[in-house]
Amino acid sequence: MGNVIKKMVVGIVLGGILFGATNALGFPFVFQALFFGYAMLGAIVFMILDFPTLKPFGGVKAVGALLVFYAILSVVYIAGASMWPQYDPEDEKGKIEKILKPKREHYEAGKVEVLLQRAKALDEKAKELTARLQALGAAQAPADQKAGGEAAPTATTAASGGDIAKLGEEQWQLQECYNCHKLNGEGGKKRGPELDNIGNLLPAAEIARKILDPKSYKAEGFEQEYEKGKMPDKYKDLMEPKDVEALAVWLAGYKNASVNTPKPIKMK
Amino acid sequence: MMNQGQIVTNHGRQLAGRAALLAGCAALVAWAGMPDVAFAQEAAPQAPTAYRDIPYIGSRNLVWIIAQLHLLLAGFVLGVPIFAWLCEIVGWKSGDKRYDKLAKEFTKLLTSSYATTALFGGILLFLLIGFYPKLMAYLTDIFFPSFLVYCGLFLVETATLYLYWYGWDAMAEGSGKKFHIFLGFLLNVFAFFIMIVPNSWATFQSSPVVISEGSDFARAWAATWNPTWWPVNIHRLIANVVLGGYICGAYAGIRYLSAKSQEERYHYDWMGYVGNFIGVFGLLPLPFAGYWLMREIYQYNQQMGITLMGGFLSWLFILQAMLIGVLFLGSNYYFWLGITHRIPGSETQYRKPIMAMLIILLLCLGVWMTPHSLVASLEEAQKMGGTHHPLLGVFGVMSAKMTVSNLMVLVTFMSFIMYWRAGKQDTAGWAKAAKALMGGVLGLAAIAVIVLGVWGYFVPAIIRINYFSTSQVGIVIFVMLTITPLTALLLKSAKTTTEMVWGRMPPRAGYALVLNAVMVILLMTLMGYARSSSRVHWHIYGVMRDSSQYAFSPALGYAAALMALNTFLFCMLVAFIFWVATMGDKAKAAAGTKGSVEPGAIPAMAGGSPALDGPEADASEEKRPV
Repeated sequence: MGNVIKKMVVGIVLGGILFGATNALGFPFVFQALFFGYAMLGAIVFMILDFPTLKPFGGVKAVGALLVFYAILSVVYIAGASMWPQYDPEDEKGKIEKILKPKREHYEAGKVEVLLQRAKALDEKAKELTARLQALGAAQAPADQKAGGEAAPTATTAASGGDIAKLGEEQWQLQECYNCHKLNGEGGKKRGPELDNIGNLLPAAEIARKILDPKSYKAEGFEQEYEKGKMPDKYKDLMEPKDVEALAVWLAGYKNASVNTPKPIKMK
Repeated sequence: MMNQGQIVTNHGRQLAGRAALLAGCAALVAWAGMPDVAFAQEAAPQAPTAYRDIPYIGSRNLVWIIAQLHLLLAGFVLGVPIFAWLCEIVGWKSGDKRYDKLAKEFTKLLTSSYATTALFGGILLFLLIGFYPKLMAYLTDIFFPSFLVYCGLFLVETATLYLYWYGWDAMAEGSGKKFHIFLGFLLNVFAFFIMIVPNSWATFQSSPVVISEGSDFARAWAATWNPTWWPVNIHRLIANVVLGGYICGAYAGIRYLSAKSQEERYHYDWMGYVGNFIGVFGLLPLPFAGYWLMREIYQYNQQMGITLMGGFLSWLFILQAMLIGVLFLGSNYYFWLGITHRIPGSETQYRKPIMAMLIILLLCLGVWMTPHSLVASLEEAQKMGGTHHPLLGVFGVMSAKMTVSNLMVLVTFMSFIMYWRAGKQDTAGWAKAAKALMGGVLGLAAIAVIVLGVWGYFVPAIIRINYFSTSQVGIVIFVMLTITPLTALLLKSAKTTTEMVWGRMPPRAGYALVLNAVMVILLMTLMGYARSSSRVHWHIYGVMRDSSQYAFSPALGYAAALMALNTFLFCMLVAFIFWVATMGDKAKAAAGTKGSVEPGAIPAMAGGSPALDGPEADASEEKRPV
């Protein structure tokens, strides 16, 4: 038992030293507590190695001892997790609310007919946009490819500023395009091409077309990714036409020729 | 005219519709007495219902509890056949009947636990269809072909389980035994597929692959083979072995604590040892499987990886590090207690190496639980000069964590080797050279792991992840594959100086076994929360948003309370299953037909004594102070 007490004292002293040292080094309080707890955990393991053998319990006492043991573990676990710095779920709720508010309003209204009408109108709009994009794509894409992407489409260059650009950037963040595409030196580039020079290679209308139909273009060097369908075919369902347009216009403003954005090859 | 795909889809929808009807009936029956239950569809009867809720507890909490219990039970049901099958093989190969008896004892639990797992699976399905009809309709559309495969697997698994359990005595000898072991193999193969099919549904939610072209089967296959499917399959398979082992250990621990006779103490002490051994055996490769999973998550979606490791869930991994640390400490502690108490005269002999290993484990744990960036107030951050502490920040990165996790695995492995060798004296002429070689391999491995870890700070992440971290894992595996057979060869000709005596462990050994099992269950519940929260407000990441009132992720403290509740409920369920399954044995024992524990040969996995392991020897040992 003397050994146990000795180790307990050593543990407390060591914990105190760690607490004081972390305080002096400017650690946040939670870390000071964490260091103290860590020293105590070590001391407890050392102590129980020498702890005298307890008398075994039987029957109800054994069950009771186990329940008390579990209760202690649970309290330590819950208390530990609760004392950790917590993220505030309200932050996430705020973000969700921002995204979902307009959609909820439609659903909560519960007006099926209105929703159906709106869906019809959206569908027609989408068809119209696709037709427009196809017409534009047929006229501009070959010209761009012929010029090796050097000639910038004048119709889209001016659109890099203003509300539409802001909305485009928001969509980039919201749809998390950066997971697959690198832009401004940030994001991944393993599954999708780097896009800093996309404005010199594709006009906005064709970028929008690629977003709505990922099979419409293939990036040079990304044949496998294209075949595997790495770019999700979901944005036509997830995004409003104006959002697609804004994102495409915003991307078309990127014309950094020093970045080797792969050449897009028209497939459809 | 409809094509095959449309027919299958429509059939799926019809089935989902019928299932929803059944769910509705079940819900009505179950909640008939609850006047406050109100469904969202009442407000808008014509609109398609996306969500339903239940008062007080909330739909998410209820699904959380039921899903967690189902998953834990499933882990148990899939882990136990692996555990039982391994024990059966060891018993067959070594001729030690205790292993066969242990395997049979645990297989007996399977029949009742299998039914309980299926029951919770059914409840979960009804709740999901009831609470999340839109999501379930979407998943049914994509995965309907795999639903059929799943049903087929259940049929063959059930038939194999019946044959395996009821044929145990009929196929006890000769070629019958071989066929029985083959049945055990089949049982595990089917169980593995039963595990990986629903894994595809869950992993699809985190890393979906959606293709709009091709047949229904092609769509289902593409969705199934998503980037995190195999890492999760492997991780869960290993985790199930760990769960099965530690649950066996906990059961033995409880029985040991309440044992009335020396014979019982002898048996349950030995069973606890086997359970802990299999738990540790699975625990050693688990960090590597976890690392692979996280690597795939990062490759699939950097943002999701950041959310988990550097975002709002990063503190969850500090909690995980503490749980794993306690699990490593608990497992090693049990080995050390075994050396101290089961091998007379070794109380002081192994003290120094035990202390050294304990210090290394604690230091490693300290590094593992250091977060990458500290959550600090503006004032605190200014004081530190940023969110990365100048002194501690260096321990927060993956390079440091991989290094210490490898070192902890090495220490635990050496704990086991030390336990294995305890009480033995080498007699082989090449023993000295072999020991020098093992010491050299271990020392060099530890140095190489540390050097690679430190070097990892100075190379690009891609080199560190693809070459350095994998080399560290390779080194540790090399150590295990070199030292294990060398030790086995050495011990083959070794002389036993001190016999191992079962049934002498102090009661705290039983508590250590219970602690290990609780830690594993808590870890599994914690990782369930991590997997679900990493999707943030998406049902299917990037495809279908969660627009319910429960779309936000709960805070860690709140989640910890639910995890503790789920762990408690699961323990109660397992205790009930054990109680029900052993009821017949107790009745037999009371009627005087109680079978005696076989005083067997040397346990295959560690030192034992055919002479002293028996109850007769224990009677003389009872006089020794313990």
